[in-house]
Amino acid sequence: MTRPDLSQPRAAAPGTGGTVLEVDDLHVEFRTRSGVVNAVNGVSYRLAERETLAILGESGSGKSVSAQAIMGILDTPPAVITGGGIWFEGRDLLQQSEEEQRKVRGPGISMIFQDALSSLNPVYSVGYQIGEMFRAHRGMSKKDAKKRAVELMDRVRIPGAGARVNDYPHQFSGGMRQRVMIAMAIALDPRVLIADEPTTALDVTVQAQVMDLLKDLQRETGMGLILITHDLGVVNEVADNVAVMYAGRIVERGTVDDVFANPAHPYTDGLMSSVPQVEAKGGRLLPIAGQPPNLAAIPSGCPFHPRCSRRRLGAAATPGRECATDLPPLRLVVPGREAACHYSEEVLGV
Amino acid sequence: MGRYVARRLLLTIPVLIGASFLIFAMVYALPGDPIRALGGDRPLAPAVVAQLRDEYNLDDPLVVQYAKYVGDLLQGDFGTDFRGREVLDTIEQRLPVTIQLAVVAILFEAVIGIIAGVLAGIRRNGFLDNVVLVSSTIVVSVPILVLAFVAQFVFGLQLGWFPISGIGEGWYSFVLPGLVLAAGSLAYVARLTRTSVAENMRADYVRTAKAKGLPRRTVIVRHTLRNSLIPVVTFIGADIGTLMGGAIVTESVFNLPGIGRAIFDAVRAQEGAVVVGIVTLMVFFFIFFNLVVDVLYAVLDPRIRYD
Repeated sequence: MTRPDLSQPRAAAPGTGGTVLEVDDLHVEFRTRSGVVNAVNGVSYRLAERETLAILGESGSGKSVSAQAIMGILDTPPAVITGGGIWFEGRDLLQQSEEEQRKVRGPGISMIFQDALSSLNPVYSVGYQIGEMFRAHRGMSKKDAKKRAVELMDRVRIPGAGARVNDYPHQFSGGMRQRVMIAMAIALDPRVLIADEPTTALDVTVQAQVMDLLKDLQRETGMGLILITHDLGVVNEVADNVAVMYAGRIVERGTVDDVFANPAHPYTDGLMSSVPQVEAKGGRLLPIAGQPPNLAAIPSGCPFHPRCSRRRLGAAATPGRECATDLPPLRLVVPGREAACHYSEEVLGV
Repeated sequence: MGRYVARRLLLTIPVLIGASFLIFAMVYALPGDPIRALGGDRPLAPAVVAQLRDEYNLDDPLVVQYAKYVGDLLQGDFGTDFRGREVLDTIEQRLPVTIQLAVVAILFEAVIGIIAGVLAGIRRNGFLDNVVLVSSTIVVSVPILVLAFVAQFVFGLQLGWFPISGIGEGWYSFVLPGLVLAAGSLAYVARLTRTSVAENMRADYVRTAKAKGLPRRTVIVRHTLRNSLIPVVTFIGADIGTLMGGAIVTESVFNLPGIGRAIFDAVRAQEGAVVVGIVTLMVFFFIFFNLVVDVLYAVLDPRIRYD
């Protein structure tokens, strides 16, 4: 397994500061009765202050699992982190005790989820649930915590926060519920916020409002934002950098502008072609052929090769770069761009 | 909420009328002659029989008998048994015993059942989970009668820990019968809690609670248990009514002078007034506790509102 070179600072958005989170060669597998599912197979990335890193991939690509590994909220068993490190504030979280990890969740790294209705506890008021952050981590009294909850609800622009603090999640609209989740996540000014498909369950207009809110909060606090999504439009609008995942690996990484303008991996290329474009009105959508890989039996060589239109097999391949047998490492293709394809230069056309 | 409760209480009136009439009709339909049975081997004099039949309205048609019964009832008269004893006296004397038994049984059911279920549920497929699974299966599959005798033999006779008959030792007398009475429901509560907790442990909001960095204890007690206990509370509440009426076997085996024994004796003697009085009271308890459960439901789950 070739490890990406982490000694070199990666392309970051202009004005971003130092690294706040570093994931190093993370491996996660699920040990189920029907076999081992390799969900994350050596993922590495860095997140800088003020950076928005989008992790893009289809269902089962390992994007959510790697985020849950960072949060330490994987269900273990069946999930097992089999290798790698998660570095936050100079410490490897995976080497910390459960109690030390717990103290990072909230003030250090926090997370918001896709479905705010099921992610909020139905039997407690939103004020109580937001206030819990202050009570658990700051030892605040119930009354003070509620006061802070109102301030936070104001900050995420929930109208009439003072009157709604004692309302229950089911009494809010979808967009407002997601704001409650965001209020809870930013309560303790985390350095890193992981947003796992934060707008997927929302109407398009509400999606934009929620993303705007996240960006505004990021500007105010300077937190790093990891945005997990399969929505290319959202990535294009808000992210600085993007990492594309496939079968538990990062297959391409670079700035959003570069990657979207000119993908270096056939899978990214396929993703771009499968999305409707305003300019290409009337043209045909090109779906990626085949099925997402079965993580219990990932294809040998490049995991994408069975679906790849550019694959080179047998004698057609350059020696050592046979797509069905040789696993392509994530490597630097052009400055600021890495891809895990033997033939990235051809894909890029450089 | 207040209006809802008032409406539900008003609804109990037709239910009580219907239930008491059905019971009355069943006693009426029982074969045999209750008056003749009073004399035992020696037949009563025809004049005495006629007098008693008239006193207890036994020669009237069913509907007339029932109407007379309800008429008396509305004046607070529960009637008397064939020995002239007031039914209300019997209830006053017997009810406390049954209530004590039910309280002990409910305590066992709730405390042991919930604790076992929670321990099993938070570590699914762990050792304790299997212990609870096996023991609850055994308890559920053994008839209560067998359970009662085994308990009497082992804990009463062999070990000598508990009294096995009567109520001579106060609350302590109710430990063994309470456990036996609760056994089936206890196993059910344990299984129900276990399933509910295991399911809730995987709920999205529990994942959120972990992601918030709450201590494990808080995650389990506040975010898992409260939601998990909603179906359990419903079951236990409804079970109070059942236990009060279902104590017939337990009261007989442990020789407890409770309501269950009274019903049993009254049915055998075809004492219509006694049976109807007590069973109607049981029906009322049952309805009442169901109402309490429904109100509690709204307290536990803010999504449920009755207005």
